[in-house]
Amino acid sequence: MVDMAVKASDISAESPRARTQRRNDLLFRGATLFFALLVLTLLGGVIISLIHGALPALKAFGFGFVTTEIWNPVTEKFGALAPIYGTLVTSAIAMLVGVPVSFGIAIFLTELCPAWAKRPIGIAVELLAGIPSIIYGIWGLFVFAPFLQRTVQPFLINTLGNVPGIGVWFKGPPYGIGVLTAGLILAIMILPFITSITRDVFETMPTMLRESAYGLGATTWEVVRDITIPYTRVGLVGGVMLGLGRALGETMAVTFVIGNSHRIASSLLAPGTTISAAIANEFTEAVGDTYTSSLIALGLVLFVITFIVLSLAKLMLVRMNRKAGT
Amino acid sequence: MTALSMTAEQSQAALATDGDMREKISVRNLNFYYGGFHALRHINLPLFDKRVTAFIGPSGCGKSTLLRILNRIYDLYPNQRAEGEVLLDGENLLSPKQDLNLLRARVGMVFQKPTPFPMSIYDNVAYGIRLYEKLSRADMDVRVEEALRKTALWTEVKDKLRQSGLSLSGGQQQRLCIARAVAVRPAVLLLDEPTSALDPISTSKIEELVDELKPDYCIAIVTHNMQQAARVSDFTAFMYLGELVEYGATDTIFTAPKEEKTEQYITGRFG
Repeated sequence: MVDMAVKASDISAESPRARTQRRNDLLFRGATLFFALLVLTLLGGVIISLIHGALPALKAFGFGFVTTEIWNPVTEKFGALAPIYGTLVTSAIAMLVGVPVSFGIAIFLTELCPAWAKRPIGIAVELLAGIPSIIYGIWGLFVFAPFLQRTVQPFLINTLGNVPGIGVWFKGPPYGIGVLTAGLILAIMILPFITSITRDVFETMPTMLRESAYGLGATTWEVVRDITIPYTRVGLVGGVMLGLGRALGETMAVTFVIGNSHRIASSLLAPGTTISAAIANEFTEAVGDTYTSSLIALGLVLFVITFIVLSLAKLMLVRMNRKAGT
Repeated sequence: MTALSMTAEQSQAALATDGDMREKISVRNLNFYYGGFHALRHINLPLFDKRVTAFIGPSGCGKSTLLRILNRIYDLYPNQRAEGEVLLDGENLLSPKQDLNLLRARVGMVFQKPTPFPMSIYDNVAYGIRLYEKLSRADMDVRVEEALRKTALWTEVKDKLRQSGLSLSGGQQQRLCIARAVAVRPAVLLLDEPTSALDPISTSKIEELVDELKPDYCIAIVTHNMQQAARVSDFTAFMYLGELVEYGATDTIFTAPKEEKTEQYITGRFG
């Protein structure tokens, strides 16, 4: 038997063991603090170099940089409005299409799916997340865009194109590539992210709460709409924001299918560009300091947009929580 | 098994002195399976209208399972199935033709833990009503107030109906859940260990509430607490390992149980 008796002096603050413990604890704290500060330093560094790099362009064009559409490397006149517009519109299309479909898949998987099909569908969705964006780009350019050009776009032009008001979004020739195509590709790309987060979040719903809603005689749709979604709203907004973040920043696939034209067309079928697509496309050919600086300024704008979007999401959550009274 | 149904009939006869005793639910030769596990065996049992029936027994004896059959909440899960008959007003609620949502509106259920919905106190109570009835604003107010008064919650919450149900204390939340179930005007009320997560004061309030609700409903309560069963119920069913060991008037079960197992359990020798 090991002698279990511990003398009082052994556990006093002066014992070697206690001193080692204190030192290790201090080291541990120091290490975690260092890692935390590292993130802040990196973030700060990125912001500073973005601002530093963008400064020449911002000095040359001022606030007009974000309000003018002209993008002319020859005369060295640059305005970011077209890429900003393209970024926002493609992301909006992606969310409009991707979020309902993702929620639908997640609801099916958690509430309705027979047990045997749960895993295959879940794995398929996760595999979708694993496809590199360049593959989406190539597939989008060679398969998806021609398909849209032949079928969906003519249909949209002939139907929605004639509706007063929203008709302007669906006018013009069916190019195949364009803002709408980019938005749809983005929708497919964010789908697995939003779906898997939404599904995980739905599964955090307490069984008893779910059963009490069914116990009142609510149907699956009523339970999901009135209980599950409000109960899991924080997680859902998080999932949607992650998808939106990805849509705003996605570069490769968008570059392939958007047409890369610095123009704001009223039609969604027309080519356009996004911030990240413009940067990726033009960085290698950017000659002259103003051109390079303008591209960096585009990056800064994207950073600010992302920041605003995240802030709005937080604000929305705060308001939703206040409305629910929790 | 015949001995069991005899017991039921005898106690029924013994208490039949009351003129208005009516068998609301009749459980007949009920078997229940979780996949391959035979969880309930040949259960026969009446539940009387305007009476409280308590289910007691050690953990895993099947008392909650039995309760979950009565509103078919088990139907949410694959691999769970019931065989036999459960008649609600003479209609077999296990029949595949049974409309589950309508059944659950007639048979309300309250769970082990308070489960307020993520909405205001008012909406919590109004929720179930809205599923079935289209009421005017004023009528809805009346119904909500009625349900909250019945559950003795009205004076405590009438000034904060717009606040979240989650802002209430645990005991209040549980009474809110009972109010929510009562608001739909069900015929049967199932309480699955409704006080297991509550403090003693809230527990006694819920027990008083059960007493007050009794004249209007057929109430079934599952409880781990034998004193509670003795206090609130008119009939008691003692279950063990998926079988109904003894059923009878609560007084009889607690003072002169016929089965040895029952006596051992209520005197605390096992369970």
